[in-house]
Amino acid sequence: MSRRLRETLGHPFWQAVLLMLAAYLVIVIIGWVSAPVPRTVVIQYMLSALVGVLIFVSDNEQRWSRFKEPIQRTLVEPERRRLRGALLVLVPALVGFVTFQQVRPTVSAPAALRSVHPASPVRITFRGKAMELATLENSLRASGDLAEHYAAGKRVYYQNCLPCHGDLLDGRGHFAHGFNPTPLPFDGSTIAQLRESFVFWRIAKGGPGLPREGAPWNSAMPVWEDFLTQEEIWQVIIFLYEQTGLNPRRLGVEGEGGHE
Amino acid sequence: MGMSRAMTGDGGRSRAMTGDGAHPDRTSPDVARHRLSSPVCWLAALSALSATSMLRAQETQLSESAQRGKVVYDKWCMECHGETGAGDGAAAAFMLPRPRDFTRASYQIRTTASGELPTDADMRQIIDNGMPGTAMPAWGTKLGEGERNDLVAYLKSFSTFFEADAPTPIEMGRQPGRSAEGLAEGRATFEKLECFKCHGDAGSGNGPSGPTLRDDWDFPIRAADLTQSWTFNGGSTVGDIYRRLRTGLDGTPMPSFSDVIDAQVITDEQLWRVAQYVRSLSPEEPPRPRDVVRARLVTGPLPDGPADSAWDGVEQYYIPLVGQIIQKPRWFAPIVEAVWVQAVHDGSTLALRVTWHDRSSSPDPEWDEWLAAMAAAATDVDGPLDAVQGPDRLTIQFPGRLSGDVERPYFLGGDRQRPVYLWRWSSAPDALDEGAGAGFGRFTPRGEGGQVTHQARYDEGRWQLQLTRPLSSSDSTRAPSFAPGILVPIAFFAADGSNGESEARGAISAWYGLYLDVPTPPRVFVLPVVAMVLTAGFGVFVVWRAQRRESGRSTSEES
Repeated sequence: MSRRLRETLGHPFWQAVLLMLAAYLVIVIIGWVSAPVPRTVVIQYMLSALVGVLIFVSDNEQRWSRFKEPIQRTLVEPERRRLRGALLVLVPALVGFVTFQQVRPTVSAPAALRSVHPASPVRITFRGKAMELATLENSLRASGDLAEHYAAGKRVYYQNCLPCHGDLLDGRGHFAHGFNPTPLPFDGSTIAQLRESFVFWRIAKGGPGLPREGAPWNSAMPVWEDFLTQEEIWQVIIFLYEQTGLNPRRLGVEGEGGHE
Repeated sequence: MGMSRAMTGDGGRSRAMTGDGAHPDRTSPDVARHRLSSPVCWLAALSALSATSMLRAQETQLSESAQRGKVVYDKWCMECHGETGAGDGAAAAFMLPRPRDFTRASYQIRTTASGELPTDADMRQIIDNGMPGTAMPAWGTKLGEGERNDLVAYLKSFSTFFEADAPTPIEMGRQPGRSAEGLAEGRATFEKLECFKCHGDAGSGNGPSGPTLRDDWDFPIRAADLTQSWTFNGGSTVGDIYRRLRTGLDGTPMPSFSDVIDAQVITDEQLWRVAQYVRSLSPEEPPRPRDVVRARLVTGPLPDGPADSAWDGVEQYYIPLVGQIIQKPRWFAPIVEAVWVQAVHDGSTLALRVTWHDRSSSPDPEWDEWLAAMAAAATDVDGPLDAVQGPDRLTIQFPGRLSGDVERPYFLGGDRQRPVYLWRWSSAPDALDEGAGAGFGRFTPRGEGGQVTHQARYDEGRWQLQLTRPLSSSDSTRAPSFAPGILVPIAFFAADGSNGESEARGAISAWYGLYLDVPTPPRVFVLPVVAMVLTAGFGVFVVWRAQRRESGRSTSEES
């Protein structure tokens, strides 16, 4: 038994089969541990592996003829008629099945090509008043008591933002499941990469204020200038950063996203 | 304010324990006596007398753990549950059910008998896992174990009731094995206990007592929809349901049935059977929304009404709806939480069936008192609620123009640049308007020449609406043509008139897709056959060539 096994393992034909199996397993395992590998990529890898294996078996004359031998025998020997017949049925059936899988009609929603943080406009109008976003700063940071701004912003958040963005600021409030795209979570690092003026623009102008690449027609973010004053928006922005322990990106400050 | 709330709170608690807050339809003297005989009840009455002095005690006697808990509470819980724990935080008015009022120490989800305090583990369980179907999220991932324990200590400091000895959980026993006979017995006990009075005969939450249901704070409260176990506040397993049947939901009209077992009206096993029956009314797994609603191509006739059994075999798509909180007036307490959509077409006509749960066919005078309670509860959010019941409504929205473009009309009613095409149905009068929308609430009826037909049916707490329309539009400037093989954006809006809802104050969905199946093209069958023939032919050729060469070689060797 072990002698036969050794003979089989030493035979270039079975070596080639094992190598191809090993190559396939490696791709599958990569798919498990990292992202799933698309089928076209799998086919490409397997073709490369096949070329490599063929180079290996045809590397010297003796190995090449040993490799061809079982194939040749299956093709011609009368004792192998059954195997030959089975292969002549099974291989076309497999090809037919794969072809059917390819051409069979399937339906899925088109991929949502959407920029989550598209470039902001240069200026916006807030309740009819023009604002330059490049120079817009959170005026409350320079005046008054931060704790008071935080408390006021907290109230604004809980009376307006909570149903979607949630108690945990994770974008999973009790209404979040009804919307697509889902509300933005604040507990990741996203808002640390944004300037406060950008956040102000996103709150004030909401979904309909997005540029085309942001798919404004799908966003459920309200136009908050219809509900909140400028001061209330600055307050809720302070709340967002304080509650999550993150800092907004600032112009000219190293280590918080760098220069513009 | 907080002080007086707390005092009435304590009074309310002792009231609840004398049976006043119990099931409105179960006034058996046995029950009242049983509750009065509880020693905890007398303790409660005594405590209520000296509520003020005890409140003062609370401020000074916080344990170290409770002091740490206060820091967590003030950061994460206060805005809903209130600074004094009275459930009156800034966000409270935007929620129904309201946040828990801790000053009454009356907790819905417990392992202890009705009227008893919860155990620390009970309170931790709610903090850790949240309450499905409400605004209370699960804090298990956000707060550390120590922080959550500290929170429990602080929550207990809101009521002097927790100074009593720790309560003991009820004995749960073991669930009997499930069987068809068991479910039948569960159903029989469900009827015997009159569960249908609140939850409805089919469990859709549409029982006749529905309009009268209030919690101990006098807010309107809905009986659970037993067919949607994923919205059960205290968990959806048979064990969870059984436990709630034993403990009751304190502060709500849901009573405990432990006394019914004690009085030997039913057995413990029968109560388990009720729990199994209730669980069987919902699917095993909660439904998941899918992006695309597929309309299968059928060869026979289309279903001829919402009750047609032909719909039974058609796949259902679950579309969740949430309150319209984007434009004024916003709506935070929608009734319709989802619609189930089915679709078929025959190549020339599209038929949709939309099913949703609604506890009444509005307007229904029985529900006037519910609406009055809703109007009282919802006053401070974007203006008062209309105190007159409107009809129930369902609106289906499509883009005004179908193109291959990724750009769509704004999902909430479109706008002037990109209008939408609407089917607006209302229950009273039972009518459907077809037309165009250019912004939420800006509707222009199509008038003459409408092509949509509809049939509505209200049964057992749910609406079923069948809508049909020819695929091709008779006037493409007023209505788009549908065609198989194209993804048609579709959205749904619903309103329950008896809940004070209207078009603006209602439930809305995001854009989904409707896809009409194309007839399977012949190449789907031809191509695989061609591939098989070619492969087989190639195989035969290879074999034939190899054998010819082999025989040629052997002849040349022989000669």
